[in-house]
Amino acid sequence: MTEAVFRETAADPRTQAVPLSHLSLEVGHLYMEDFEAGPARLREHFAQVRPWAAAARAAAEARSGGRRPRISTCFLVDDYFTRFSTPAELVPQLLEEAERAGLVIDYLARESGCAVSGTVPVAEAVAGRIVESPPPGSYGNRPPAAQTGWLANGERSPAPRTPQAMKTAAAWQPPRETAARRHSVFLDAELWSDDAQGNRTWSCPFLAAVWQLGRLGLLRHRGAPVFTPRPHDTDRFPDDWDELPPLIRLNPRADPFAAYRTCSVLPNRFLPVEHAVRVVLDQTEVDRTALRQVAERSAREHLDVPDSVADRVSYVFYAGS
Amino acid sequence: MAKARQPDTTPHTVLACGEVRTCLLPARQALDSRSAAALLALRADEHVLLSERPNLYARSPEVLTGVDCPLPSADGARVRAVGTVAARAALTEGRVLQTSAYARLPAAGPGARQPWGHYLVRPGMVEPLGKLPHEAVAQGVLDGGRPGDLDVGLIADGLLTRLLRHPLLDHDPPLRSRPTRLRWVALPAEGDDGPSIERFTLAEDELRTVRLRIPEGTSPADVAGLCDDLALHDWLLTTVVRMLDGIALGGPPARRGPGAAPHRPVVAALRPAVDHLLHLWMPRARVARQLAPLWEALEDSPGFTRQWQTLVQRIRDQLALHAIASVQREVEPAG
Repeated sequence: MTEAVFRETAADPRTQAVPLSHLSLEVGHLYMEDFEAGPARLREHFAQVRPWAAAARAAAEARSGGRRPRISTCFLVDDYFTRFSTPAELVPQLLEEAERAGLVIDYLARESGCAVSGTVPVAEAVAGRIVESPPPGSYGNRPPAAQTGWLANGERSPAPRTPQAMKTAAAWQPPRETAARRHSVFLDAELWSDDAQGNRTWSCPFLAAVWQLGRLGLLRHRGAPVFTPRPHDTDRFPDDWDELPPLIRLNPRADPFAAYRTCSVLPNRFLPVEHAVRVVLDQTEVDRTALRQVAERSAREHLDVPDSVADRVSYVFYAGS
Repeated sequence: MAKARQPDTTPHTVLACGEVRTCLLPARQALDSRSAAALLALRADEHVLLSERPNLYARSPEVLTGVDCPLPSADGARVRAVGTVAARAALTEGRVLQTSAYARLPAAGPGARQPWGHYLVRPGMVEPLGKLPHEAVAQGVLDGGRPGDLDVGLIADGLLTRLLRHPLLDHDPPLRSRPTRLRWVALPAEGDDGPSIERFTLAEDELRTVRLRIPEGTSPADVAGLCDDLALHDWLLTTVVRMLDGIALGGPPARRGPGAAPHRPVVAALRPAVDHLLHLWMPRARVARQLAPLWEALEDSPGFTRQWQTLVQRIRDQLALHAIASVQREVEPAG
């Protein structure tokens, strides 16, 4: 009488599940300037990552209770903010340097795929799922975050009013982190900016949050998984970044791309970016069915997965820029 | 559509509450399915649910609003609660727009506010800090809280305001009507009792309040669906009653001189009801099976459908009388 009469707008109404590893291990997230600095920079990066990658694997093994954990590695190339060289030139170099350090890159992703993946406006969809953490006193009267393009982890300082003649200016009020323990660490992250023509540029932390949700297997577009790896079985890569699929599987024997948890090994300079990622993840309502699928699957495997999505994400920050 | 069930790490629901806004879609033409889907596409990545049987109906995905505030309470207790209120919009026959906001509340919650991620994996749940005096809060919700208390009606209002800005709407409705509000609470039924309506009140202004008892395990989304259905039909009754109130029926048509068509005002006033409203009456079209008996209680008393049929008959009789009158005038000699 109730739900059975619904017809959904797409041919396939089901929310598809995605295969899941135990851990998605990110062994790099580099910008074009890193590539511009030449192979030595990549060599140094992978040499730094290697021991931490081994530690992350050991931790995943300890969590899986002695069974061999399924772990996939991934690497994100920024082709969104700047473009440099070509995949044909860069990707073989990248793989060579990883191999030299004894690392295997299972999956390679392009950052612009976190903005729009194929025809799917992923970033826009995730922005539509932001549910702002309400400061105390929110009784249903909050304006939606989507109008401002900024997301904070608490209450901003009240905007100073222009003092009228004969009146003194109001005293400054501090911002406040909603989850503060006595003292605040207030963070206000810019999610996007629009130029004069109305073209939107998503911010690096926002795209990185989308990337994390993809790695956690929690993104869907009208029920279909968003980051579906395309196999890449040849040594040849295209001459244009746009011709490279948003996510490719380089290692045919790789464990699934998406995982219950993620770990990213990154240089220190990513610390503020990843703090902002956490602020975004902590205030994003993910697809409910995808969330349930992960919960059911992990329960069947007797694996402990944190309730809160932001707590499924971990990092190693190594010294360096 | 399978509803996602979240990992059940929270105590069971002892109170659900919500508010529905119902209004005529402010557009000259009713929207077809495609336009309805465009209007209700609150999220780029989720479907709008569309249904054509037994009538044309579209429903938006749910969106959440975070709250952290005291709960309204009849006994003055100030219980703080934190969580998310779910809201959705629906369009019936491309003509009647409804927004509905609701939340469920467990018997008890953590003693302190949790990280926000805790609440986002429990969508549509508002957790009290400590124990919930659910009877007092239920009454508080129906009475309307003090300023600063949880107000799910504001969330339904906010969603309605957002939808009314949509470029598909020309704000040229075919008839005059007023929006209504329906505020509801649902408390657990005693023992093995089935669902029941304890009270249905036509309060001041355009406000109706409903107090329900529901068996444990009833989905709050289903209860919200029932209340949307009640609100839709109550709005239809209210609108048609007001329409008939507003026109002088019966009696000899006032003489306005030769050539005037004195029957026109009545026909013109009633015609929009025929064009846009009379086919909308379809109680229980989308009410969950286990809650359908609640409608029967309202059919018994005050008798929703009985009143509707009487109204429809009056409209048809009036139109028939005016049709006869106009035929007679045509055959009478001009004088």
